[in-house]
Amino acid sequence: MGKSLMIVDDSATMRKIIMRTVRMSGLEFDRTEEAGNGVEALEKLKGGVVDIILCDINMPEMCGTDLVKRVRQIPDCNGTKIIMVSTESSQELIDSVIADGANGFICKPFTPEKFQEKLSPFMN
Amino acid sequence: MIEQLGIKEIVLESAKEVFETMIFMDITETAEPDSDIEGWAILGLITFRGAMEGCLAICCSTPCAQTISMNMLGIDSAEQVSEADTCDAIGEVANMIVGRVKKHLAETVGNIEISIPSVVNGREIKNNLGNDAELVTAKVNIEDKYVAKLSMLYRKSSK
Ligand SMILES: [Mg+2]
Repeated sequence: MGKSLMIVDDSATMRKIIMRTVRMSGLEFDRTEEAGNGVEALEKLKGGVVDIILCDINMPEMCGTDLVKRVRQIPDCNGTKIIMVSTESSQELIDSVIADGANGFICKPFTPEKFQEKLSPFMN
Repeated sequence: MIEQLGIKEIVLESAKEVFETMIFMDITETAEPDSDIEGWAILGLITFRGAMEGCLAICCSTPCAQTISMNMLGIDSAEQVSEADTCDAIGEVANMIVGRVKKHLAETVGNIEISIPSVVNGREIKNNLGNDAELVTAKVNIEDKYVAKLSMLYRKSSK
């Protein structure tokens, strides 16, 4: 069965750019969802879990680091991989969000190669 | 001191990285007058606080902002990008530039926390961000077609 993807970012334009970059990286998803913040993402996950979440950090309502903690409390999302996609890239932040349950980190600005590198381990 | 860090160089280097990676355009510093920015312009602004406080902005003409958002989205015709897309794209450009600036500053000045972007779309936007702190500005030439103005206003935090 094909994989499903959710892109969480407060900028609609950035969501489109991420989607385009994912496509350029050659990775294919059967189902893609979008959410503008953590609250919206949790709401959409209730309607069906996804395999991979690409998650911004700085967002209104609920930021990405809080979303990671919340998703990790949902038993159905045990297998969901969360990759942070953020302009913030301090080692301290990366370490703390990985400790909270994220599975990877992509820094903005990004390239299709970066998505290929970080997502392909989770595509099998 | 902050002056010796070459804030302007950090801002330019960060902007170059963002333009090359995400917008597929080359930028070079220029001394050209910014008549291009007079009239309708778009300004993307991010504030920050922490070891340093202030704000960073990028200001350019509406056609320039449209081209930037078209390149970021991979769209060839200007009719296909909405005004909302264009504003959003400029906010994200400012956001990514300040993210790179933050990374550079982390090694020398310390950590800064950055805000969610604000975007102003209007006429004759004056980019004077205040006068009680250091202000660096740099004009950049984008692919010999447009001129954009980068500015960063900052002061070392008293905390
Ligand atoms: Mg954001």
